[in-house]
Amino acid sequence: MRTKDLIAILANDSRSPVHRLPSPSVRLIKWLAVSAPWIALVVAVMHLRPDLGTKLAEPRWLLEQGAALATAVTAGMAALCAGVPGRPRWERWLAAGPVLVWLGTLGLGCVQDWIQSGPVGVSLQPDWECLPGIVLVGLVPGVVMVALLRRLAPLVPVVSVGLGGLSAAALADFALRLFHTQDAGAMVLVWQVGTVALLSAASAAIGRHILRWRHLRAG
Amino acid sequence: MRLDEAEMAALMQAAQDGDAVAYARLLDGIVPLIRQAVACRWTGIEEPDDLVQDVLLSLHQVRRTYDPNRPFVPWLMAIAQHRLADAQRRHARRAKGEVAVEALPETFSDEDAKEPIDRLADAETLSRAMADLPPRQRQAVELLRLKEMSLKEASEASGMSIAALKVSMHRALKSLRAALSK
Repeated sequence: MRTKDLIAILANDSRSPVHRLPSPSVRLIKWLAVSAPWIALVVAVMHLRPDLGTKLAEPRWLLEQGAALATAVTAGMAALCAGVPGRPRWERWLAAGPVLVWLGTLGLGCVQDWIQSGPVGVSLQPDWECLPGIVLVGLVPGVVMVALLRRLAPLVPVVSVGLGGLSAAALADFALRLFHTQDAGAMVLVWQVGTVALLSAASAAIGRHILRWRHLRAG
Repeated sequence: MRLDEAEMAALMQAAQDGDAVAYARLLDGIVPLIRQAVACRWTGIEEPDDLVQDVLLSLHQVRRTYDPNRPFVPWLMAIAQHRLADAQRRHARRAKGEVAVEALPETFSDEDAKEPIDRLADAETLSRAMADLPPRQRQAVELLRLKEMSLKEASEASGMSIAALKVSMHRALKSLRAALSK
């Protein structure tokens, strides 16, 4: 097909207006607005942890939760920016700071637990509730994020979907700790952050299948 | 038709609002830009025009992502560069399973499948080796291989017995092989 003919076909196909994409921050707010009721519902069904009042007074717990929430928000923002052509590349690294703070606070927590209780403080036991818990809570945020990403350009599908997975999983971990009473630094690091890392990696691995150019190649 | 940044942004905005004429004008105007980008980076065998069309189709698919408050050319070039990178990856994947040759071989690639005479790519060397053969051996090769006669026909034409032809042919091939493998 000649390029001139293709232009005529595309112009003919563009007679109806397209809905311009809202800015990434507006889309992020939409994502949070849809995810929040689901998270509230799951937390309500699972019952808030009984010691939540005490935890809310602990700076370490607040810092860990703040870092998890910041990771969710910045990774979501980065994912939503990555699919818009022409946006700066540094935006893809928005979540790096919060992730480092999150890992740092948990690492520091491990050290504190070691100082307080010795090797027992950093011992690991199986905690198989984390994986299904994070998957359950992250289900709706994850699906909504994918729906939002599919409206964008599939420029960097692995990065976009990986960041989207990270945002949904981090948000789910934030919610999990509102009803799951596991605060030992090493346990949270391995079982909860490990699950978040696993889900992010799995999301990135299927990125190319979820986001792809849908048109047929010209020819 | 050269368009500047402001014109392209205005045409794209109009195109998003459903103005097909503005869209056609914009696409016409950006084709040279895309061609230039393709010419600078493309190293594959695919036709550059196919890639230009690929970029136009991709742009069409994601035209809703253009934000009128941001410049148009970086938006366009991001799409073009990513599509080009996709094409390069596609090309590299294909090239991995291919062997590049300038001319297709005219004989079998497997040595065992070849007749000794097939291996002789150089006609001049072959003629020289043939000329050096004793007359009876040369005649055997001419009749049995070049004129593709049967042993019986060759025997009648040459006056040699079938057994003598076989011996001459065998010796001739041995001599040719020796002469050409030097």
